[in-house]
Amino acid sequence: MTLEQSIEHYAASVPDKAAVICGGETLSYSCLWKCIQARASQLEAEGLRRGEPYVFVATQDAEFIVTYCAVHLCGAVAVPLEASTPQERKKQIQAEANSQMVNGKWLNGKCSDILYTTGTTGFAKGVIISEKAWTANAENLIDRLGFTSDLLFIVCGPLNHLGSLSKIYPTLMTGGTLCIMEGLKDLNAFFSIFSLPFARFATFLVPSGIRMLLQFASKDLAAVSRKIAFVETGAAPISQHDMERLCQVLPSSRLFNTYASTEAGIVCSYEYSKYGCHPGLLGKPMKHSSLRIDEAGRVVCSGDTLMSGYVNAPELTAQVLREGEVYTSDLGSIDENGMLRLQGRLDDIINVGGRKVNPLEVEEALSTFDLIADCICVPAPHIILGTAPKLFYVPKSGHEVKPKAIADYLKGRLENYKIPLFYEAVDAIKRTYNGKPDRKAY
Amino acid sequence: MNYELEKERIIELLSAALPMVNLESDFLFSELDSLGVTTILMLLSEEYGIELDAKDATPKNLKTIDAIVRMVETKLGQA
Repeated sequence: MTLEQSIEHYAASVPDKAAVICGGETLSYSCLWKCIQARASQLEAEGLRRGEPYVFVATQDAEFIVTYCAVHLCGAVAVPLEASTPQERKKQIQAEANSQMVNGKWLNGKCSDILYTTGTTGFAKGVIISEKAWTANAENLIDRLGFTSDLLFIVCGPLNHLGSLSKIYPTLMTGGTLCIMEGLKDLNAFFSIFSLPFARFATFLVPSGIRMLLQFASKDLAAVSRKIAFVETGAAPISQHDMERLCQVLPSSRLFNTYASTEAGIVCSYEYSKYGCHPGLLGKPMKHSSLRIDEAGRVVCSGDTLMSGYVNAPELTAQVLREGEVYTSDLGSIDENGMLRLQGRLDDIINVGGRKVNPLEVEEALSTFDLIADCICVPAPHIILGTAPKLFYVPKSGHEVKPKAIADYLKGRLENYKIPLFYEAVDAIKRTYNGKPDRKAY
Repeated sequence: MNYELEKERIIELLSAALPMVNLESDFLFSELDSLGVTTILMLLSEEYGIELDAKDATPKNLKTIDAIVRMVETKLGQA
């Protein structure tokens, strides 16, 4: 069954059961299904046709679920974008999706979504995801993590991102309840969810989210520990210290570290609360996935969760997706128990709390800033995020350039998470012998 | 505590860590994300030696820079 068929099924069998909770509002399965049908009729009346892309901003609310499912119900392709995507970029994505539609190579009713990511290639690309891949991802999660109909799953991350979007599927496909939050910034709102009348709670948190909770709310977390069935993390490395602390605070919860990417899908997950806290250990492949390590030490994934390709990028698709395998940029090994252990990346991508930033994109955006002569963007340690972009910049002669001016300039040109958090004015940028920015020198 | 001096000090501290946030906004909490809230709590607790936790991170306490200064004032008064 697809996600929409599942919602329709539960709207008939358990119509009054809560499907989505957000900001004090609850949508039952029957109400959700009616809203989805009404939105689909509206979208069709506005001219949305089968196979066409529908670009929209991923808001953190029930409206998103309604629109997302309505687009699928129309047989169209959902293209949810980061809320802070600059206007120019939105237009570019719309044009890109439209032109791909004209080419028509990914249609055939197989394309469900296009998710924009920087992950595997280092450049912002539209990843085409099929309905089959979503179903396989959902079944992987249901099987490994234990989604059930009595579960309330809290989504705190951005819904255009695989980490959070992928949780809609197993939750609603098992008749559970989804609770959507706008990030973790209101920690009191997060903890108030646990007073709702549900038997089991679960959530997905990037490692920086776990660190935030451990730092400022470990007592509150311990107070609700018996209600938490499981916590999944992923998208960025989690430290051994944070894994151990979370095991102490949540002694009866199942705690998972998952390996996934938009291109490869949700591939494996390691239950560190059961098997021990080992950083970089990501467990065995799930039921619809398999993986191997190539001669270069790169993680190569296969199975039904893989993407169908990149939008308008046949050459890039051929580079990453070869003979049914996705070649990731992650380096790893498989241990004697068949578990994946990650050992770094092949490229210069900066992992900012689970979101990937290509430093070239930041430098390119600043190439038009009149007050800067040269710059380089590199990863720097950050106490919460793990790493964050740092900009070394050379002000044009005679000018004093404050970090805020640079951040403000970038604000309309890049998504917020790509904007550097650290700045340092320098006299010159170090370069290699052939003139390229020398990232290793920083 | 000299209110204006401490306000300047807090603005300087937070603007260095959160360069893209408009600290003069009347709707500061809505400009912040999870990282912004956490950064404010961390920096203020370190700088002033006060204990701040999830219960302090309310939209009311973080609505404006003045609300933040008042929160610090109150915490220092409790110490």
